[in-house]
Amino acid sequence: MPTAIELIGITKRFPGVIANDNINFSVEEGEIHAICGENGAGKSTLMKILYGMQPADEGVMKVNGVEVNFSSPTDAIAAGIGMVHQHFMLADQFTVIENVILGSEPTKHGVLDFDTAKAHLANVGESYGLTIDPDDFVTELEVGERQRVEIIKVLYRGANILILDEPTAVLVPQEVEALFDNLRELKAAGSTIIFIDHKLQEVLEISDRITVIRRGKTITTVNAADVTAGDLAELMVGEELPSPETTESTVTDTVALEVKNITVLDEFHRPVVDDVSFSIHKGEVLGVAGIEGNGQGELVDAIVGMEKPESGSVWLSGKDVSSHSVRERRDEGFGYVPKDRHEEGLLLTAPLWENAALGHQTKAPYSKGMWIDRKGSRDRTDEIRERFDVRSPNADVSAHALSGGNQQKLIIGRELICDPKVMILAHPTRGIDVGAQAAVWNEIRTARAAGQASMLISADLDELIGLSDRIVVMFHGRLVAELDPSEVTPRLLGSYMTGAALQGGDELQGGDEMDGSDESAGEHTASAMSETAEGAQ
Amino acid sequence: MNFAQFQKLPAYLRWPVLAFVGILVLSIVQFFTDQQLLTSTTTIQTALKWAMPILIAGLGGLFAERCGVVHIGLEGMMILGTWCGAWGALQFGSPWWGLVSGIVGGALGGLLHAIATVAFSVDHIVSGVAINILAPGTARYLSERVFTQMDGGSISQSPRVESLGDFTWPILAKGPDLLGKVERLDWFLISDLFGVLRGLLFQMTYLTAIGLALVPISAFLLNKTKFGLRLRIAGEKPLAGESLGINIYRQKFLGVIISGGLAGLAGSFIVLELAGLYRQNQTTGRGFIALAALIFGNWKARGVLTGAVLFGYPFGLSLRDLEGTATRSLLLVIAIALLAVVVWALSEKNKADAILAGAVAAGSLLFFFGTETAPKWLPGTMPYVLVLLVLVFASQRLRMPAAVGLPYRKGGS
Repeated sequence: MPTAIELIGITKRFPGVIANDNINFSVEEGEIHAICGENGAGKSTLMKILYGMQPADEGVMKVNGVEVNFSSPTDAIAAGIGMVHQHFMLADQFTVIENVILGSEPTKHGVLDFDTAKAHLANVGESYGLTIDPDDFVTELEVGERQRVEIIKVLYRGANILILDEPTAVLVPQEVEALFDNLRELKAAGSTIIFIDHKLQEVLEISDRITVIRRGKTITTVNAADVTAGDLAELMVGEELPSPETTESTVTDTVALEVKNITVLDEFHRPVVDDVSFSIHKGEVLGVAGIEGNGQGELVDAIVGMEKPESGSVWLSGKDVSSHSVRERRDEGFGYVPKDRHEEGLLLTAPLWENAALGHQTKAPYSKGMWIDRKGSRDRTDEIRERFDVRSPNADVSAHALSGGNQQKLIIGRELICDPKVMILAHPTRGIDVGAQAAVWNEIRTARAAGQASMLISADLDELIGLSDRIVVMFHGRLVAELDPSEVTPRLLGSYMTGAALQGGDELQGGDEMDGSDESAGEHTASAMSETAEGAQ
Repeated sequence: MNFAQFQKLPAYLRWPVLAFVGILVLSIVQFFTDQQLLTSTTTIQTALKWAMPILIAGLGGLFAERCGVVHIGLEGMMILGTWCGAWGALQFGSPWWGLVSGIVGGALGGLLHAIATVAFSVDHIVSGVAINILAPGTARYLSERVFTQMDGGSISQSPRVESLGDFTWPILAKGPDLLGKVERLDWFLISDLFGVLRGLLFQMTYLTAIGLALVPISAFLLNKTKFGLRLRIAGEKPLAGESLGINIYRQKFLGVIISGGLAGLAGSFIVLELAGLYRQNQTTGRGFIALAALIFGNWKARGVLTGAVLFGYPFGLSLRDLEGTATRSLLLVIAIALLAVVVWALSEKNKADAILAGAVAAGSLLFFFGTETAPKWLPGTMPYVLVLLVLVFASQRLRMPAAVGLPYRKGGS
């Protein structure tokens, strides 16, 4: 097989870090080649170099045997390389066709020639089995469809080498399968695919060969058929992978948090959270599954007091706190880890000790009377840094100097050190590396054993299943199912999250990949559905 | 037919219908208040002239904001346009040269804004305000150096300059003057329609024609050409453009320079067609009104035209209406428009908007019945009031470019 891409000794330095350190590997024509590594291992930098968005400091890059030197994506596109970015590069207010033709627009007498463009788009779509309406606005499309637009965009330019940067991060299991089908078709049509991911099962399922990167260095390239997920994980982290499993149940009979009939309306007076009720006991972790945008964010806001619900009440340890402010609720024992640590969790330009005081700034040891107690805050921050292993030189560096994982540990430490009765965790391990992830899981487990009630919202289904004592699924603002994590599979959870299991479960029952265990899951579907039906009455 | 269906009609049907409804309302108000001026040829003619600087500068704002750069500095670039417009006309002896030099002057201001905001990531508002402060100072300094040396010139004003001239449509507006005949018949609505039409065709300056032509030209450039698509991606999602090999800096520079050029053209319009000379502080905040027209028009060329006409009309009317009685009847027009908003809000089940619109309508009516003549400040206030009303009642329908005002760095993803 001829080589499509060959990298020899690629090195890229940023001030203070070596992102890529002597990277060597080659990709054969017509294969699906996965690049595997932890967050921060240097995968994204490598892809940016490959796509001409950043120049390499050292090394040689060959495309189809010819040495190339890209100074911008234009050069990469000309060489037949296309990239599907992790964060979609689509303008929401443009139509599909406008997004697709951008940068290589066909014109007729200086006017955009949409007819030619659409004909070409239809051609591309047909030959790869990808369909989309060219006149739809991107803002109207589902996540999976947007990704399809991204892939079409690349194919439209005639790229035969596709780079996909963590394409499954935003997809639910059903959409992932559709994507993989598309990729297999592309491969059959002769395209070369470079697939970046750190979800090992997916990598093993889709790729022919896998190159593992650790701390900016290429560790090895292996055939997917010859390795197991465990092997890969060891290669990636250099040690045994931690798992999110909890041991025995610590659930008690005491109800810590009770949410009764919460309804939240959006600006158009439609319910985004629709009559949601549940309770969490001391020592229990309640997992909330659901595709983002199904009301989880609004539910959390209503519980912590940032949004006033249309109706319903929140009870903490048997006391109605519905009318209390966020401040009062926090004083009464709510802890909150927000879903976006940069948006809500931290002041990136402020020092760690100020960040650690956030949300507790009215209490000792962070303040004395009306004055901030700098010494007390710093001492407390050092305590957090030590106990939660926040790797940082001192309490005075600003938060943006920390890696994502350490930022997250700081936030979790900030909340846990005050021993909240109820902890709301929104995506606590999103975008952090395996080591930090294990540390966060450990903290959640320790707090649970100490009798804390936690509500865990996560898109990582393994994490949900591994850490939760119970899982509820949120779909279109309602809790549609309550599942036992010891019996549920990510696949089944995914079908609830997309609503597929609610429409009669045909998709699950009729699937030809069903084995014994999945059939029992099918029965579970039926019981969960009858529960839902009762709940609705 | 309900509102949603109406919105789906093609633009060439929708806009005439809206214009007709507007004239119908004016006719009714005229009928009840016993006025002639609201739809007379002279009023429309003046209003159109007064709308032009707002329109042209608004289109300038459109180009800047669609490529993602906030343009609070329109006023300053208009001032540069006024000075350069007068200087060019005097220096080279032809108003056409004034026009060209006005455009160049404004474009230089645009270039400065682009260097600050695009190349050096200065906050767009800060740079815009700086230009608004810098421009009048520059103009005064240059006047001292240049205009004080000329006959009839001083530090705050230039000698007189010529207009570019105008033309009247034969047969329709002169000679047999068919439109004028019908206008003078004084039939309800019909005469008003013909009056408005004649106002458009009678003694239209060449520069007005250019300004009006810029509306479809801008819309065409932005929506139908490669250049426009690339310009718009810079204002919507620059990283997407960058990932496809588009030079976003180039697009932004071009957009802001075009924007400055149009603002300069708007400035020279004031000099050449409205005032006949350069005078200090001649723009009187029209740059900001143009920005209001841009927002009112939802960042679309046609919308800017509507905004400019709506905002220019009260000015034009007040110039013709020395007693202030016609301007006063505009209060009635506003009340009627607000009552329409009440009906619309109720149909959308939006009680809060309905109550608010009703209250403002009632206030407007009270004002109308409580006065004999409009106060002097009314026409100048109207654009701002209109824009506030639009922001209050239609802000959910307004959509500014997604990345406007955000700093952009190449490779910053």
